[in-house]
Amino acid sequence: MFACLVAPDFPVQATCRMEQENTRQTLKQSPIAILEGPANLSRVVATNGAARSAGIQIGMTKLQVEACGGVFLRKRSLANEETAQAALLDWGRFFSPCAESTCPGTVIIDLLGTEKLFGSPQNTADKIVMQGTKFGFALNVGVAANPDTAMYAARGYSGITIIPQGLEAKRLAPLSVSILPVSPEMLEILDSWGIHTLQSFAALPPIALTERIGQEGLQLQRLACGEIYRLLVPAELNGDLIESYEFEDPIETLESLTFILNRLIQQLCIRLVSQSLATNQLEISLGLEVRQLETGKISEPYTRAWKLPFPIQDGRVLFRLACLDLEKSAFSAPIKQIAVKVTPVKPRSVQHGLFAPISPETEQLEITLARIRGLVGSTDENGIACVGSPMVLDSHKPDSFAVLPFSSETKNRNSTQVPASVLALRIFRPALEAAVELTQERPHCLSIRHKRFHVLAASGPWRNSGHWWDVSAWSCDEWDIAVKTWEGIGYYRIYLDKIRRQWFVEGIFD
Amino acid sequence: MSLPAANLLRSQVEARIPSAFATYRRPELKTILTGISPIDDLHGGVPIGALTEICGSNIASSGKTSLLVSLLANASQEHFCALVDASDAFDPAPADATGMNLSRLLWVRCGKNKSKLKPLEQAFKVADILLQSGGFGLIIVDLGSIAERLVRGIPLSSWFRFSRVVEKQSTALVFIEQQPHATSCAGLVFRMTTDAATFSGRVITKLNLEAEVVRAREKKPMQSARELFSLKTLWA
Repeated sequence: MFACLVAPDFPVQATCRMEQENTRQTLKQSPIAILEGPANLSRVVATNGAARSAGIQIGMTKLQVEACGGVFLRKRSLANEETAQAALLDWGRFFSPCAESTCPGTVIIDLLGTEKLFGSPQNTADKIVMQGTKFGFALNVGVAANPDTAMYAARGYSGITIIPQGLEAKRLAPLSVSILPVSPEMLEILDSWGIHTLQSFAALPPIALTERIGQEGLQLQRLACGEIYRLLVPAELNGDLIESYEFEDPIETLESLTFILNRLIQQLCIRLVSQSLATNQLEISLGLEVRQLETGKISEPYTRAWKLPFPIQDGRVLFRLACLDLEKSAFSAPIKQIAVKVTPVKPRSVQHGLFAPISPETEQLEITLARIRGLVGSTDENGIACVGSPMVLDSHKPDSFAVLPFSSETKNRNSTQVPASVLALRIFRPALEAAVELTQERPHCLSIRHKRFHVLAASGPWRNSGHWWDVSAWSCDEWDIAVKTWEGIGYYRIYLDKIRRQWFVEGIFD
Repeated sequence: MSLPAANLLRSQVEARIPSAFATYRRPELKTILTGISPIDDLHGGVPIGALTEICGSNIASSGKTSLLVSLLANASQEHFCALVDASDAFDPAPADATGMNLSRLLWVRCGKNKSKLKPLEQAFKVADILLQSGGFGLIIVDLGSIAERLVRGIPLSSWFRFSRVVEKQSTALVFIEQQPHATSCAGLVFRMTTDAATFSGRVITKLNLEAEVVRAREKKPMQSARELFSLKTLWA
């Protein structure tokens, strides 16, 4: 058996999909017309049932529609339709791995072998329709023994239509002949013959039909009888999931952006969950409107990507992370378009341990770290991260370290070494410039920030140099000195930078 | 009133109000050992669920940073730790050498961007965020290199709020400062001073230190207790 998912008035549904559920229900009852074309020449390309009842027809101009009054007008967005089609395909894949993206607004799936998971075809169709609202669709579902019959049933009847094998011709009989893929010329010919329904078309003698309109006519007649069995062409799995939205008018406030962003991320997470996947990479691209200074340029791109240390499915975490970053950003122009991309990966499987230390909650930790980064910044002037776990680099250069991303899923240190207490150095970053008076080539007096200290004892010089072959070369003579201060004795590490010919205080033994 | 009469009265009152004479006993706090035995012997480590202050001079050597590193090294064996470094003064090299599990340390380096917030304000806000998020066994806020007049300006309500928040968590909150400021909000106050360094030939090998427990909420009445000890340098 095959099931066909059809989103009737697809351009309308694709446009309204990002609206909230209650708004979408309100819009469903209201007449909506989708316009396409330049602002002064835009024409209606799609309508919903309420609009058709109000007399709105395809091809009407914007002025004609406005004259009718009470009709919601929306601009057509091909980007929105593409993402809606991808979402519809994902919803089909939730029920069967063999899903064909037949045309915009139509997906056909093979139900063979899914009975044990979802029950009878009726149950499966019920689930498809009921839960399809999560994806923002009001779906018609047709179930039949061959893909084309299922498609015509879904297109021709609203709700769920199940056609048992052998009754295809009978159930398709009342449908209009225009539902078949016929050219306008052929439709005109059939109309002139008085053929309006599939029943009358199926009743034509096949040989006479072939003589008049060729093999194409015979093929169409077999379709009308539900006699064509073809193989599905499963859609290829794309690497990334993308949801995008094109604003009718460019927006300037963050509130309007976050509202749509939340909807996009939630939709992506629903799609991920439906395929039992998670993501560890999120990318947001914003299309900014460019003032008409440079011709030929549509919009400035703004892209921001997050690489998460573990895969997650929680849309709230992703949304919060994105919001924290967007709050910091200042955009040079209004936002015209937004696209969110996630990379699907397998969900995380963790074996928890009774004796594992209490650790920060992994999902919450990412938000915590993002909030902290918002306060203290991401990196310092040398490009080293301000928030993370320190790592000592394998170098003799003083104060050489890196800061790695912090994760709550760390392993115990391999060595069984018991921590030993040693005298630590409190570092001055950057090192303090100092003046040192020498007596017999040993420090005698130290001046820091216009304060002069008498050196009681000095240990050194300890010569240290490296990387002489590149710009990061260093060469210094280090001294450990004891100086008398008004609060007691201070043990400092000072060094003479031989390249810059300047004394510095590296830190204090504290 | 005679004793039998007092007992009778007590039993009558207790019959009506069972907890009338019950005394509130604060649960004994767990501690994290500092890894320096003389200090651990002095008080038993840093209390979990309380605010601790470690004070010492900024100009003269005092040993507060060595105590910080030792505490982090010890705590990181069992807990996730956070170090809010207001003046970016932490040196990971001795920490790594002591055997600290650096992957369990979240190091927040304040004052490195051109933010409107001053490093002190950043440090307090970060500490607040970390306390809210939970999951860290030890949070250290290093204000040791921040000017004393700035730290003195922190309102008492901030210290009070921190002490109340940490009270309900299994986290030890430690502040490194030049002088104690949290007054009664602190569960434990250490003051560190240095005595003299030991030179072996021309090389400093050891620094003699003194730790004094100025205030301890759990062990009252608390007389000022001091302990002398020494720490070796990495190369000694």
